[in-house]
Amino acid sequence: MTAAATPSVAEPTVKRKLRRRPPAAIRNGRALMIAIAGYVAAGLFILLLGLVIGARGVSGIILPALAVVVPIVVLCILTVRLTRTRQVWALALVVGWAAVVAVAVGFLIATMASRQPDANATFFAQLLLTPPFFLAVASAWHFLRGARWFNGEWEHPLKADESGARPISAPLVVSAPPAPADSVPSAAHATAGTAPLAAAGAPAAPVAPGMDGHEPEIRPIVAPEVAAPASAEAGRPLVSVQGLKKHFPIYGGVLRRQIGTVYAVDGVDFDIMPGETFSLVGESGCGKTTLGRTVIQLTPSTDGRVVFDGYELADVDPEDMRPLRRRMQIIFQDPFGSLNPRMPISDIIGEGLLAQGLTDRQARDKRTEDALELVGLRREYTRRYPHEFSGGQRQRIGVARALALGPDFIVADEPVSALDVSIQSQVLNLLLDLKRDLKLTYLFISHNLSVVQYFSDRVAVMYLGKIAEIGTVDQLYADPRHPYTVALLSAIPEADPRRRRKRLVLKGDVPSPAAPPSGCRFHTRCWLRERLGNPERCTTEDPALRTFGEEGHRVACHFAEDISQTTVEQATAEAPAVVAAAVEGE
Amino acid sequence: MTETSTERPVAGAPPRDDILLDVRNLKTYFRVMDGVVPAVDGVNFSLGKGHTLGIVGESGSGKSVTALTVMRLLDIPPAEIGEDSEAWFDGRDLLKLPESDMRRIRGNDIAMIFQEPLTSLNPVFTVGDQIAEQVELHMKVKAREARDRAVEMLRLVGIPSPERRAKQYPHELSGGMRQRVMIGMALSCEPKLLIADEPTTALDVTVQAQILELLKAIQERTGAALILITHDLGVVAEMVDNVIVMYAGQVVEQGTVDQVLLEPRMPYTMGLIESIPTVEKRGGRLSAISGVVPSPFHLPPHCRFEPRCPYRWETCRTVTPELYNAGDGRVARCHLHLVEATARREAAIAQHRQNMAMGRRFTGAPDRLGDR
Ligand SMILES: Nc1ncnc2c1ncn2[C@@H]1O[C@H](COP(=O)(O)OP(=O)(O)O)[C@@H](O)[C@H]1O
Ligand code: SF4
Ligand code: SF4
Ligand SMILES: [Mg+2]
Repeated sequence: MTAAATPSVAEPTVKRKLRRRPPAAIRNGRALMIAIAGYVAAGLFILLLGLVIGARGVSGIILPALAVVVPIVVLCILTVRLTRTRQVWALALVVGWAAVVAVAVGFLIATMASRQPDANATFFAQLLLTPPFFLAVASAWHFLRGARWFNGEWEHPLKADESGARPISAPLVVSAPPAPADSVPSAAHATAGTAPLAAAGAPAAPVAPGMDGHEPEIRPIVAPEVAAPASAEAGRPLVSVQGLKKHFPIYGGVLRRQIGTVYAVDGVDFDIMPGETFSLVGESGCGKTTLGRTVIQLTPSTDGRVVFDGYELADVDPEDMRPLRRRMQIIFQDPFGSLNPRMPISDIIGEGLLAQGLTDRQARDKRTEDALELVGLRREYTRRYPHEFSGGQRQRIGVARALALGPDFIVADEPVSALDVSIQSQVLNLLLDLKRDLKLTYLFISHNLSVVQYFSDRVAVMYLGKIAEIGTVDQLYADPRHPYTVALLSAIPEADPRRRRKRLVLKGDVPSPAAPPSGCRFHTRCWLRERLGNPERCTTEDPALRTFGEEGHRVACHFAEDISQTTVEQATAEAPAVVAAAVEGE
Repeated sequence: MTETSTERPVAGAPPRDDILLDVRNLKTYFRVMDGVVPAVDGVNFSLGKGHTLGIVGESGSGKSVTALTVMRLLDIPPAEIGEDSEAWFDGRDLLKLPESDMRRIRGNDIAMIFQEPLTSLNPVFTVGDQIAEQVELHMKVKAREARDRAVEMLRLVGIPSPERRAKQYPHELSGGMRQRVMIGMALSCEPKLLIADEPTTALDVTVQAQILELLKAIQERTGAALILITHDLGVVAEMVDNVIVMYAGQVVEQGTVDQVLLEPRMPYTMGLIESIPTVEKRGGRLSAISGVVPSPFHLPPHCRFEPRCPYRWETCRTVTPELYNAGDGRVARCHLHLVEATARREAAIAQHRQNMAMGRRFTGAPDRLGDR
């Protein structure tokens, strides 16, 4: 089962080059065109229905209606397609066609009067046709507003001085010559504002465009000679997350109005270097899963940026996300819920391959079997269904599903939490082997701090949608500097009765992310704040993530300096007294 | 207070006075469509008054069924309890009691806490009412007094503003709060024995720490005995004096917590402990137990761990192991403790020590054992 033994399949290549996502003006213009097409097509359908049931007067207008509606629909579709062509002549056509649609609808309205003797019917027909007219006008206006898009010079909305990083202004189109790396003013990055990147030991490399002229293609699952992601040589992060936010609206009441917002992820910055295992820890509900899904754009972000191997993900045309999606895969926590029970394994794993354009059934099955073999399952298992497998085996199938696509980057969302200890270690070993053989980069999400310590290179501790502390495993576990990290570490139950000790027990539960506490979000449970006599700053000022001690170790606490062996011991000695007091209180 | 099978009292006779619960040859089978599942297959243990016992093992090993059988909470059929099984509690055999007596014991003398408190709390009554009802039923007090006691219980388990919380419904409380309510309810009648089945598995670490501290404090104060069922060896290390390790429905090792966790004498326990990720094992592979738990319909005929055991030899495939004395009062179901296997035993123990010290280093070829 060594890497070399897996023969490669004939690989389909993705021919199209990556395109940037058009700006909002163009997207609005397109949406309006599609709306017109839908509207008039629906009208035509109703007319035809009328013809079928023999409604009076329908047969008279059916032909002119056909003659006008069909070209309108065709023009609408053509317009939408043409916005993909970023040439000035396309702009002229797009706006021209939008205008033609407007005129055509106008013509239809005008001819109504002459064709229909019944004044009432005419009036209603004209009334019905006014919306597409205005839609067409509005669409043309939107396209004009987004005219710069057709010039190929649309700027990234984030300016350098806002984001703290160099804007990705170079086009995502592959044919553009790569920007020379030394021409990048790295000082701009170093001096920039409030959210510097959290690269441990990495020179604060600006996020240069990853366009180096190679076409993205599906690489074989196992190919030792495979080119590492473009970011590997440049020593820059594979994934760079800056100011990322994901808010969910809460709807309620009879009218389903928005009555609140869940701040699931609320301004997170970090970098993941190629080949690294970066972990997120924290209690349930603190936003780990949402963050993981937002990083690979399974859920769109509310704000902030994710740069994957040089591609600004929010800016990539949704259709062109496909080759990037292949490179970013996810393994889910629940080995029981995440596999469709009605699908055989071949389809579960093959689904993603099909979506990537591998239409040849045989090639797909071959690749599915390769993936199964890679995770230590038998090739014959492709014919079976999920219920025939144990929890550990299902988790392996989840891993195989991700691997089949040959990703560089895998978000592993609590991949071993639902498994028994003996199976957990098998899956952890598998993930380690695969990482080494396939040069993978992991974003590993877990609430188990022992597993994280064993498994990862760097760790970020999350609390209520923000990073409380970030650093290498050694920095974080040997010298925790956030009161929350201290408490988490103290709470780990160790399987060694000799190390039985008093714990630093936190009060209460994690507050709701829909109503995060003011100032420092941890202040409602913070033992350090209590020891320091409840300083006001904790409730009024949100602590910034600042470097503490060694490079790369950053903590979001105003009073991180006050954490010492003594304060922790004192707090530990007092904490259980809370429980005891409650007990005595009876 | 854990006794080995060799020094057991005669069948049918109650145990010594200081033994609170004495389970003898407990067998529970489930008759299902595909055949018979021996969920619990001859379990023996005893628990002294005020002592703590941990039952560990992977899911499906029969931990929960053991507890549910003792509590008589299983539906019969499909469950079937062995003819000669006994569970002596306070001088009476629970398995032979009429259901009415049993109902009085449940809640009065033995209380149980489950993993998912939401499913064991009634969603349509406030938590205060549920505790009060329990108190009223078992302690024969007036409604008003019962309500006061319910609030008192909530305060005892560390719920802030208990008067307000008592008026809330289970779904309005967080997981940690619900587990506290369950504990409060279990303790409201001052039971002599508390059985907690995975009480913290569904909870976050910081809340788990709260619940464990609470259980400890309360157990110390009320002097109740505790049976803690869990798959988390860390929780066991933290909480109990004696440990039973279960595998495929059988007890495979039994001893004090120090003995079992620090010097395991049965290959399955060794493997479990080795597979826990620790800081010392960083950079290396974890030593994993290969393969999976056997299907209950196709149990290996002799040693049930044999297909996964790295130390097996011919004897393991031909002779059924019993619980052998493994020194210092502990027992292990493994042929390594036969006198003629001394050399093998020592080699296994040495290997275990080495695995614990470093984990297995990466070697050339990846060994993705999987299920092969
Ligand atoms: N109601 C039931 N019907 C059939 N089999 C059952 C039932 N309850 C439990 N079992 C089986 O009994 C065995 C032991 O289960 P359990 O005691 O829940 O294990 P544990 O608590 O150690 O995870 C398992 O094989 C399980 O499938
Ligand atoms: S800023 Fe204040 S409340 Fe927040 S973690 Fe630090 S001490 Fe605690
Ligand atoms: S009896 Fe044999 S196979 Fe079973 S655990 Fe002992 S050494 Fe391993
Ligand atoms: Mg169980």
